[in-house]
Amino acid sequence: MHHSSLLLESLTRFSSKPLASLEVGKHLYWQMGGLKVHGQVLITSWVVIGLLVIISVLATRNIKRVPTGLQNLMEYALEFVRDLTKNQIGEKEYRPWVPFIGTLFLFIFVSNWSGALFPWKLISLPEGELAAPTNDINTTVALALCTSLAYFYAGFRKKGLGYFRKYIEPTPVLLPIAILEDFTKPLSLSFRLFGNILADELVVAVLVLLVPLIVPLPVMLLGLFTSGIQALVFATLAGAYIHEALEGHGDGEEAH
Amino acid sequence: MDPLVAAASVLAAALGIGISTIGPALAQGNAAGKAVEGIARQPEAEGKIRGTLLLCLAFMESLTIYGLVIALVLLFANPFA
Amino acid sequence: MFDFDGTLPLMALQFLILVAVMNAVFFKPLTQAIDERDGFVRVNNSEARERLAQAKRLAEQYEQELATTQKQSQSVIAQAQAEAQKIAQDEISQARRQVQSEVMKAQEELESQKQSAFSALESQVDTLARQILEKLLGATLAS
Repeated sequence: MHHSSLLLESLTRFSSKPLASLEVGKHLYWQMGGLKVHGQVLITSWVVIGLLVIISVLATRNIKRVPTGLQNLMEYALEFVRDLTKNQIGEKEYRPWVPFIGTLFLFIFVSNWSGALFPWKLISLPEGELAAPTNDINTTVALALCTSLAYFYAGFRKKGLGYFRKYIEPTPVLLPIAILEDFTKPLSLSFRLFGNILADELVVAVLVLLVPLIVPLPVMLLGLFTSGIQALVFATLAGAYIHEALEGHGDGEEAH
Repeated sequence: MDPLVAAASVLAAALGIGISTIGPALAQGNAAGKAVEGIARQPEAEGKIRGTLLLCLAFMESLTIYGLVIALVLLFANPFA
Repeated sequence: MFDFDGTLPLMALQFLILVAVMNAVFFKPLTQAIDERDGFVRVNNSEARERLAQAKRLAEQYEQELATTQKQSQSVIAQAQAEAQKIAQDEISQARRQVQSEVMKAQEELESQKQSAFSALESQVDTLARQILEKLLGATLAS
């Protein structure tokens, strides 16, 4: 990590003014207890969380029958999330999962967009730079592990220890693959989100290095689009995994 | 960093991202073509088809992103350096 | 770049807290509000539907009444027309009869006058014939 920006320093030399610089793998380290944490990720995530909570409180402070302004917007968001959850988990069992999947979607969405829309670069840190919280692997892995926990919890609550039957349900031969699946699910979830957001920011940063004005704009718009889609994909997949855990393996469980 | 390892890493990163683009590119083209066919056959289902298509494209895109992640590992967090 | 450290558990923890907080301040109240509104709309909708049905029933009733009154008025008109026609016909036939009777009377009078003229002429025929004969034959006849 000490050599991380070697490659890109040669790029930076081309631009006369330090309009933009690319820093990959540099972090603002904080010491918390015995653990090191990435300060810049936590700061941006706090901003995102604060934004979400404040908007929610403002929207629900004075609930009216005919919604206006913020309440309208948040009701739209809620209906969107509810539809998403209903489509994935099904009419019967989707209700208790709306808060989890909805928060997942909103947090990732606001995080991704904050990386592109919020002028983080105006705030300079001693080391590292502020960016979307989701372009740190820790954040995405944390979210993916929460998703894993959620579907395990869903399966256990529905079926108790019978949940483990799904590992040997068609044949015990597939046991290793079934176990491996539990590892690949959070891995692919976290790497997909992390890679997409990081790729967006890298592409924009490289373009800004080459041509600082106007040219990066369409790419930034594309980045906004893919960020939104990635939030949707994460939430959809979380819903699909939870549904799978609730339904069991294949159609054999539905007969019960 | 050992120059041999550096050269191999850069080459591997370039090849990795290049090769990992091929499959998803073909798949995305195929999916988009099929989606257009579907819309042409049933224009009233356009909204649904478009939503599904975008979701599928994102999944295929993530395959390339895995390649990109590997390339980034090789470039910025090389375990062999 | 791929360095896992204390950020991960901290992030997971604060995400779970965020889920709890959002559930309390966002999902619960708004879901409740939306459900309440759905109920309100449903009740209003059924009420409106009921009212619509009632209005439709009323309109149907009015239409029926309208149709019956129309039929009645039509029958009244037809009756009046028929009566008027009958009266007109009566009067026409009466006038025709009167005219006929007058014509007959005049003809009869004419006939009687003709008869009287004829009879008067016939009564004079003898005397006139004698006078003509006397004038022609004269004396011979007298002897």
